Amino acid sequence: MSQSQEVSTRLKGDVSVIDVRGEVTALSGRPIEQAYQGLSAAGAQKILLVFAADCYINSGGIAVLIGILAECKKKAQLVRITGLTPHFQKVFAMVGLTRYAPIDASEDDAAARFRERP
Amino acid sequence: MSDEQKFELHVPSKEGAEKIAMDFAATVAKSMAFPADRIEDLKTAVAEACMNAIEHGNKSDAATRVGIRLTVAGDRLQIAVQDRGTGPAQMRNPDLESRIAGEAEARGWGIFLITNLMDEVKFESNEQGNVIKMIIYLDKPQ
Repeated sequence: MSQSQEVSTRLKGDVSVIDVRGEVTALSGRPIEQAYQGLSAAGAQKILLVFAADCYINSGGIAVLIGILAECKKKAQLVRITGLTPHFQKVFAMVGLTRYAPIDASEDDAAARFRERP
Repeated sequence: MSDEQKFELHVPSKEGAEKIAMDFAATVAKSMAFPADRIEDLKTAVAEACMNAIEHGNKSDAATRVGIRLTVAGDRLQIAVQDRGTGPAQMRNPDLESRIAGEAEARGWGIFLITNLMDEVKFESNEQGNVIKMIIYLDKPQ
């Protein structure tokens, strides 16, 4: 079965953004990990994960994100999330991910929250 | 005469096949007029149950099929996912803190999601192997 995913990175002020489209699963998680490692190596301290509305996220993908959040905690990097559908916002809260990466309504909201904790 | 309706699907034990089962279940739930948020809950639960069946129950042997049987009875939809295994090895809730601390494997959230998203969940075994039965109601019990 084919897996479709697109991951890219960009800067928005001092926030390092990872854009994710398509599938977030154990099989397709590697590009997200690589995107994070690249930003981290470049010195990112504020990381925003932006999920497209078409994202399909399963428990394997959640495990990939937990691995990234574990790295971020070790390195004292701040992480926020936006773009999730209401269903996946509920799932992320259920798992507890939002304790480590709060969810914002928009990129601008996330940027504002990051500014509150320089 | 029974007023139950049954629908059945068999998919190969190959990652990605869970999405076929997920869409199949969503189609039946839509025909019962489940609200969109409950259909999303159902899709996640069915996908997770099928992935467990594929990976753990059938050891990703593509020649072994996962059976998905949907039973509609009034406002109740039951989804039974059958594999050839012996059921989940451990049923403890995963602990996010230990996973973030790197003290436990990050995976293992499937059963947790299923039990939190469905109204009722049963784990049974039969002569074929393991079956997980998930039930959702149009009017969610409080």
